[in-house]
Amino acid sequence: MLTIDLALAGLAVGAIAALGAVGLITSYRATGVFNLGFGALAMLIAYLLWQQVRVWGWPVVPAALFDVLVVAPAFGLLLERFVFRGLGRRGAGPAEMLAASLGVLVLLLGIAILTWGTESRLDPPTLFETGSIELWGGATVSEAALIDLGVVVGVAVVVAAVTRFTRFGAELRAVVDRRELAELSGVAADRVSAVGWAFGSMLAGLTGILLAPHVRLDPFGLTLLVLETIGVAVAARLASLPVAILVAVAIGVGQSELTRVQLEGKAQNLLQALQSNLFVVVLLLALLLLPRMVEVGSRASYPRVDAGTRTRLPALWWLPYPILLAAPLALGTEHLRSAQQIPALAIVFVSLVILTGYAGQVSLGQAGYAGLGALFAASLMSGKFLGLPEVPGLLALLLATLLVVPVGVLTGYPAIRRRGLALALTTFAVAVVVSRFVFAQPMFTTGLRLDHPWPFSGERSFYVLELVCLGLTLLLVRRLHTGRLGRMLVATRDSEGGAAASGVDVPGLKVFVFAVSAGVAGLGGALMGMSGRAFDAQTFDPLVGLIWFAAVVVFGVDSAAGAVLAAALIVGLDSGTRAGVSTIVIGAGAVLLSRMPGGALATARRLLGPLWTEDPEAGSGLRPGWGAVRLTPAGEALRGRVRRRAATAAAAAGGSGAVGAGAAGAGIGAATEVAARDGGRP
Amino acid sequence: MTRRQSDVPSLQARGLVRHFGGLRAVDGVDLAVPPGEVTAVIGPNGAGKSTLFHCLAGAQRPDEGRIRLGERDITRLADHRRARLGIARTFQVVSVFPSLTVADNLRVGAENRTGASATARLLGLPDAARGRTRTAVEAALELVGLTELRDVRCGELPTGTLRLVELGRALASRPSVLLLDEPASGLDDTETGRLRVLLRGLADDGLAVLLVEHDMELVFGVADSVHVMAAGRIVASGPPEQVRENEAARAAYLDPVTGDAHGAADEPPSPSPRPPDDEDPRPLGVRGSQPPDEQGTPRDGER
Repeated sequence: MLTIDLALAGLAVGAIAALGAVGLITSYRATGVFNLGFGALAMLIAYLLWQQVRVWGWPVVPAALFDVLVVAPAFGLLLERFVFRGLGRRGAGPAEMLAASLGVLVLLLGIAILTWGTESRLDPPTLFETGSIELWGGATVSEAALIDLGVVVGVAVVVAAVTRFTRFGAELRAVVDRRELAELSGVAADRVSAVGWAFGSMLAGLTGILLAPHVRLDPFGLTLLVLETIGVAVAARLASLPVAILVAVAIGVGQSELTRVQLEGKAQNLLQALQSNLFVVVLLLALLLLPRMVEVGSRASYPRVDAGTRTRLPALWWLPYPILLAAPLALGTEHLRSAQQIPALAIVFVSLVILTGYAGQVSLGQAGYAGLGALFAASLMSGKFLGLPEVPGLLALLLATLLVVPVGVLTGYPAIRRRGLALALTTFAVAVVVSRFVFAQPMFTTGLRLDHPWPFSGERSFYVLELVCLGLTLLLVRRLHTGRLGRMLVATRDSEGGAAASGVDVPGLKVFVFAVSAGVAGLGGALMGMSGRAFDAQTFDPLVGLIWFAAVVVFGVDSAAGAVLAAALIVGLDSGTRAGVSTIVIGAGAVLLSRMPGGALATARRLLGPLWTEDPEAGSGLRPGWGAVRLTPAGEALRGRVRRRAATAAAAAGGSGAVGAGAAGAGIGAATEVAARDGGRP
Repeated sequence: MTRRQSDVPSLQARGLVRHFGGLRAVDGVDLAVPPGEVTAVIGPNGAGKSTLFHCLAGAQRPDEGRIRLGERDITRLADHRRARLGIARTFQVVSVFPSLTVADNLRVGAENRTGASATARLLGLPDAARGRTRTAVEAALELVGLTELRDVRCGELPTGTLRLVELGRALASRPSVLLLDEPASGLDDTETGRLRVLLRGLADDGLAVLLVEHDMELVFGVADSVHVMAAGRIVASGPPEQVRENEAARAAYLDPVTGDAHGAADEPPSPSPRPPDDEDPRPLGVRGSQPPDEQGTPRDGER
C-alpha cells in the first residue's frame, strides 16, 4: 500500500536521479562515450558551490547558476577538446573511451580529495527554500521536490524536441551512428559532440548541486551516489528518456515507501540495506536481466597494443624490480609497515592484468574480490566463519583465496554473453552490491581480528611472506601468458568465433579466467588486510576499484611488471605526500592515455627500445594508426613506393601470394615490410 | 580412389529449419557432405547459405531437423565441441588471431582438437599431445604454403594471406570434415587456382569438404556435387554439369544463357525433383596435382 506522503518525499530523490540518468543517456548518445567521469564532475561542482557559498560567502542562486551554466559546460568542452576528440578520431573502441572517462573520474576525485580532504561536510547549500505545499487530502510535498521534478521534465522535453525536430538533432543522430560518414556528408562532428559534452556536463553539475543537500558532501560518497543513477540509464537501455524518468521516480518512491515496512531481526537489516541501496540493486538486476543495451558501437574486448613486444629487452631492464621490492627490508619498522602494502596491492593489480590484459575482459569490480579475500581471512582467523573454530593465519590466507574463487565463477557467468560496456558495468555493480550488502553490514564486519599469520608475525618476515606470494602469483601469470593456455587466451581475445572454431571452449575459458583472477585478487586483499592488521571497508570501496583499474591501465594493462610498479608508485605517493596526490597522478595518466597507447611502460619501451636493439623496426612496431612515426607527405609516398616494390619482389620470390591486387593500405605495407626483412635473412 | 574414405564419417543434415521471426532462412534442407568429395552450395545472396553453414558449424542451432556426424547426433553440440570431433571451418569474414604469429594461429587449431582442462595447463601438467601438435602444424603450414611466413604476426598480413592462415588453422586440427565459407573471396586468380588444387587434393585424401562459394569457376572446377539454394530451399542438386543445365538452377541463380551466376532470384523458385545421383559424380578433369592454370582467362563467377 502506498502512502501519499512517503511517495511525495521519494519524488525529490527520484527526480534528481532521473536528471542524472537523462544527462548520462543524452551525452552518451551524442558523444558515443559512456562518461563515468560524470559522477565525479557532479561531486566536484557540488563542492565548488559549497566553497563559493560557505567559504567565500557568495549568494547561493547566482553561484549555482554560474556553476551549472558556465563552469560545468566549460569543463565538458575542455574534456572533449583535449581528451576525447583525439580518441574519437583515432577510432578508439568503447573500452579505451571507458578507460579515458575513468581517468577523468579518478583525476577529479583526486583533485577533490587534495582540495577538500576526505572528511564529509554536513552543510551543502540548498538551492531552494524548504517550504512545503499542502495538496488535496492533507498530504504535503516540499517545494524543492516539485521544482526538481519540473526541472527534469523540462530538460527531457527540450532534449526530445531538439533531437526530434531540429536539424541539429538529425546531425546528432548521424554523428552517433557513423562519425566518418556524417563528416563526409558535411556534418561538423566535432561541434556536435562538443555540444553533447557541454550539455552532459551541465546536467552532471545540476545533479550534483541538487543531490548534495539530500546527503552528506564527501568525495567518494557523492560520486558513488551519482554513479548509481547508471542503473536508471541502463534500465532505459541507454536510449529512452521517458523510461529513464519513470524508472528513476519509481525507485525514488519505492525507496521511501520501503521505510514503512518492518521485519524481524536480521531480515530487517537486509531490508534496510535494500531500501537504502535500491538504485544499486536495480543497476545489477537491469544489467543481468535486460536483453541488450542499445550500445553505440561495440568492440568485444580491451584492445591489445602490439607495441614493443617484439623488442627483446636487456637483462638490465628487469634489474630495478628485485631491488625495488627488496629495498624496504632495509627500512625501519615505520616505513616497512607502509611498504607492506606494495606486494599486496601488486598482487591485486596482477589479477587485473590477468583479466583485462590477457583475457580482454574489462573488470571494474576487483575491489569486491579483494575485499572479500580480506573479509574471509579475518572471519576465518576470528573463528566467525560458518561456525568454524579459529583458523591459523597461513591456512586462513589459503582458504580465503580459495573461497573467493567461486565468487569469481559466479560473476564470470554474466561475462559469457556480455562484453565491453555491459560487462564493465556489471562487474562494477557486483562490487557495489558486495560493498553495500556485505562490507557495510555490521553483522559481517564487527568483532573481527586480523593479524600477520604465524610464523611470519614480525614486520620483516611478513614482508618476506608477501614477496613469496607475489613471486608465486607472477609464476602463475607466466603460465597464463605463455604456452598453450596463453595462446588460448590471446586467441579468444582476438576472435571468439575463431577460437571456438578451433575447439577452444570460449565460455568455459572466460569463467576460468574470472575465477583465477578473483582468487588472485582475494589473496592480495587478504594480504592487504593482514598488513594493516584489520579489515577496513574503506580500503575496498568500489571507487577504489575504479582507481585500481585506471592505475593498471596507465602502466600497461598486459604488463605484470607495470602492475608491480603501479603498486609501488601508489603506496609511495600515499605515504610520502598528501592524500589525493597519487589519485591525481593516476587520473592524469589515464586521461593522457590517448597519447601513450599501451600504457606508460609500453611507451617507455617504444622510446628506449631502439637504443638496445639492432632491429630498426622494433621502435616503430606499432599498429597502423597509432602514429608513432610521422613522415612528411613526400616521405609517405616514398615509403609506399618502396614497399610496393618490395611486395612485388616478395610475391615473386616467396610465392606466399601475400599481395592481392585488391589489398591496399597499411596492412599490405606492414606485410611486405616483414616479407622483405624475412627474405633478407639467411 | 580415396585412401581412407571408410574411416571418415560423413556429415549429414536432415530437414533443417531455421527461422528468424517470420522469415524461414533455412526451410527444410537435406544435405550430405560425404568423405572424399567436395560438396558445393551456391545460390543468390539471402538464399540461406550462410545460415545453413552456421547450423552445420554449430554457431547457430537449427529450429528443426537433425545433424549427424557418422552415427552421432550433433544437432545440439556447441561449436567448440564439434571442432573437437573433427569438423573444422573457416569464416566468411576472416577471423584469425591478429596478435599471434602464423604458426601460433595454426597451433591453436592443432592443440585444441583435444579438450584439455585449463586448470591442468595452469598447474603446468605435461601435455601428452605435444609432439603430434608440432607435426600437424608443420604439415598444415606446408599444405597452405605459409612455411616462410610462419613467424610473422597475422595482424601484419593482407586478407588473401589470412584466408590461407585460416584454412591452415582448420587443417592443423586434422579434421575429417572441412566447412569453407566463401574461401575464395579476397583471393586473386593465382591464389584461387592454388586453393582449387589444394581442395581437390584434400578431398582425394578422404576429407569431406563443404564449399559455400560465389566464385563459379572454383565451384564448377572442383566440386563433385553442387547444390543450388534459393529462398531457404535446395532447388537443384547434382554433378556440376547437370546443375549447369538444370532449369530450376538457372531460374534461381545461374544466368539462363551462359550459365553464369546472376546474383538475384527474381521469381520464387519452384522446388524441383533431385536429379539422379548415381552417375559418375566426377566429370571434371581436375585431379590431384594439376598446376594452377589460366592466369589470363576471364572468370566466370564474377559477382
